[in-house]
Amino acid sequence: MSTTDDDTLPGIPNVGKADLDAMVENERPDPREELADVEADTDLGVAMAEDAQRVARGELTGDQYWEKYDEAAADEFGEAYQETPNPAVDAGDQTVSTGTAESLSCAVGSMDTVAAESAQVEGEEPDGGIGAGDEKWGMVIDLQKCVGCDSCTVACKSENRTPPGVSYNVVMEEEHGEFPNVTRTNVPRPCMQCDNPPCVQVCPVSATYKMDDGVVNIDYDRCIGCRYCIIACPYGARYFDFGENYDDEVDEAGELTSPEYGVDRGPREEGKSPIGNVRKCSFCTHRLERGEEPACVETCVGDARNMGDLENPDSDVAQMADSSRAFQLKEDEGTDPNVYYLK
Amino acid sequence: MSTQSSRFEFDPGFEDDRLRVAWYAVVGVLVAVGAYATYLRITGGMATTNLTSIVPWGAWVAFYIYFVGLSAGAFLVSTMANVFEVEGMHRIDRDALFAAIISMAVALLFVWIDLGRMDRMYFPFIWRQLTSALSWEVHAYVAYIGILVTELYFSMRIDLARIAERTSGLRQTFYTALALGRLDTSEGSRSFDQRWLKRAGIVGIPLAIFMVHGGTGVLFAVSKARPYWNSGLFPVIFVISALLSGTALVMVVYVLRTRLFDGDSVDPDLLDRLAQLLIGFIIVDAALTAIETFIAIASVHPHEIETWQVIMYGPMSWSFWWFMVGFSWVFPMVLLTKKAWRRTPSVMVLAGLSVVIGIIAVRFNIVVPAQIMPVMEGLPHGAYFPTLVEWGTSIGMIGVGLLLYTLGAETLPLTPLTGGDH
Repeated sequence: MSTTDDDTLPGIPNVGKADLDAMVENERPDPREELADVEADTDLGVAMAEDAQRVARGELTGDQYWEKYDEAAADEFGEAYQETPNPAVDAGDQTVSTGTAESLSCAVGSMDTVAAESAQVEGEEPDGGIGAGDEKWGMVIDLQKCVGCDSCTVACKSENRTPPGVSYNVVMEEEHGEFPNVTRTNVPRPCMQCDNPPCVQVCPVSATYKMDDGVVNIDYDRCIGCRYCIIACPYGARYFDFGENYDDEVDEAGELTSPEYGVDRGPREEGKSPIGNVRKCSFCTHRLERGEEPACVETCVGDARNMGDLENPDSDVAQMADSSRAFQLKEDEGTDPNVYYLK
Repeated sequence: MSTQSSRFEFDPGFEDDRLRVAWYAVVGVLVAVGAYATYLRITGGMATTNLTSIVPWGAWVAFYIYFVGLSAGAFLVSTMANVFEVEGMHRIDRDALFAAIISMAVALLFVWIDLGRMDRMYFPFIWRQLTSALSWEVHAYVAYIGILVTELYFSMRIDLARIAERTSGLRQTFYTALALGRLDTSEGSRSFDQRWLKRAGIVGIPLAIFMVHGGTGVLFAVSKARPYWNSGLFPVIFVISALLSGTALVMVVYVLRTRLFDGDSVDPDLLDRLAQLLIGFIIVDAALTAIETFIAIASVHPHEIETWQVIMYGPMSWSFWWFMVGFSWVFPMVLLTKKAWRRTPSVMVLAGLSVVIGIIAVRFNIVVPAQIMPVMEGLPHGAYFPTLVEWGTSIGMIGVGLLLYTLGAETLPLTPLTGGDH
């Protein structure tokens, strides 16, 4: 993007660097105005901010900066300052000398260690780990609203980073009747998270099991890849990870993986789980744990997919699942899915 | 009779040295092909197969249940001698037991290579699932191999002791070790062995029928999602076809080993007895399969009917008509009908081999067709034919079985030194 370029493209405004800088300056909030809204000392705040910029430019060292402001900050913020770890102090990436770090009156230890400690103290970790929530997760899919766009399938693939040949969600297209009386139904199919899951029943090593919140989990560290569960699933919802990648389509396609069932496994590598394991939809357990809806529910253009607690009678999904329009796939199998459909 | 050891001649192994070289060369090629294919399988992972998430079980599973069936069948034939004391069957007791052990080892090799994570093969012994047929099966296989080895030991121990008595040096140490140091060849020790052989056999019979092979049938039959397998008759047919293939295998092994290793003539009465057994098993197997097919078709369940259409008229229907119906039922049945043929070793080897090969197609036609029809309307149909890697590894594992069997037949007294009935 050269600023001296005269032959501008049609429809693209011809703006130079100076114009852009002016625009940024125009948008920049006035520091004094901003800091006036908070209780803390405005002068101190502005001075610290300006010196921080000097540190960034290399005109001032981190040590000098913190020696200059440590006392003032401690006076101004008191206990809150002393209990908060200083971002300049960190085991891996420390920007001030050890001497300075130890002389500071704010909390010692890196951000990470302090964060871990405070989490333990506050008991933020749920008692039973992943899937131990009080909800019983259920999904209701309104077939009248589904337009068959397959956005759910795409959102699922991108959220769960599933390899070629693995698609936790598919949209089955059914045509009924004969011309001219033809109807077409699109039936999205995630894992049904059955109450009586045949897959769990057949697993020889108990690698797949039902969690308290109703989701059927797969322990990738235990699965031996015998594929008996794929055979047993009446919904075809399970897939084997053959180790393929989208390397031809995207560079470093295997670098990013999804923290399925709350476990971050790092980049995809040959011979490392989940390659050689069986995989399936987890209702985006990792998202549910963060208080988010599954990717397919969030993305659905027609708002056809709903997620919620089936055991809470006031929840939307419980009411929809109770309606006369509601049905489950293959009800006579006795699997009792937690995915309901509305006719 | 046990004291006059000079009367027993022990010279196992091929009679003809050129045949030995040729045979080991063939087996060596099979094992080498298998080793290369296994290398490809291990480095390339499961992507080297034609398996998919729609057809997750293929050739390896088919061969696995095939060899479990061969083993269970051969074992049950052996019990005719050592438990039911059918006259004239002792001659093949050890042949049958040894073939059963080797078949089981090969079956487990097939299970192993089929695992997505081969490195986790021992996990089923650490974690279990009471409702999983496969979890039970793994344990049944181990117990069953234990029974087979125990039986072979008690059946063969006295001859191992006799050989140890007459040899010296390393060979003596070898046979003494195999006899677990029990070198007594008295009548008392012989009857002790016979008693324990019978006891192990009595435990082994229900284990083989209900757990090992019936259980393998249950493994499939519990899959409600696959109506083709989901029938009570299914495990029974499994056991019958196992008896069929096992009897055929024992017959082939008996003739070939007697001719090529012992240089003896085949006992036509024994051959006839095995042949008549084979006739019975062919009839029961074909009849039960017909009943099963009829029940399936009479249910007018679309999944059942379409699966049978795939089997009988689909792209792989040749394996049903030629191999399953032709090689395992019709062709051997023709050869078995004439009494003179039943007493002719070469004809019976042909009939036996025909069954042994035909039952492979039976196993493929159990495993694959149920996965062709999608479990739900709207999901894709499956298609499957093994890759070269799958064929190569299969050939290799069969080669390993042949090698182990040959090595055993060249060193062990598989033919009773006293020459037949105890």
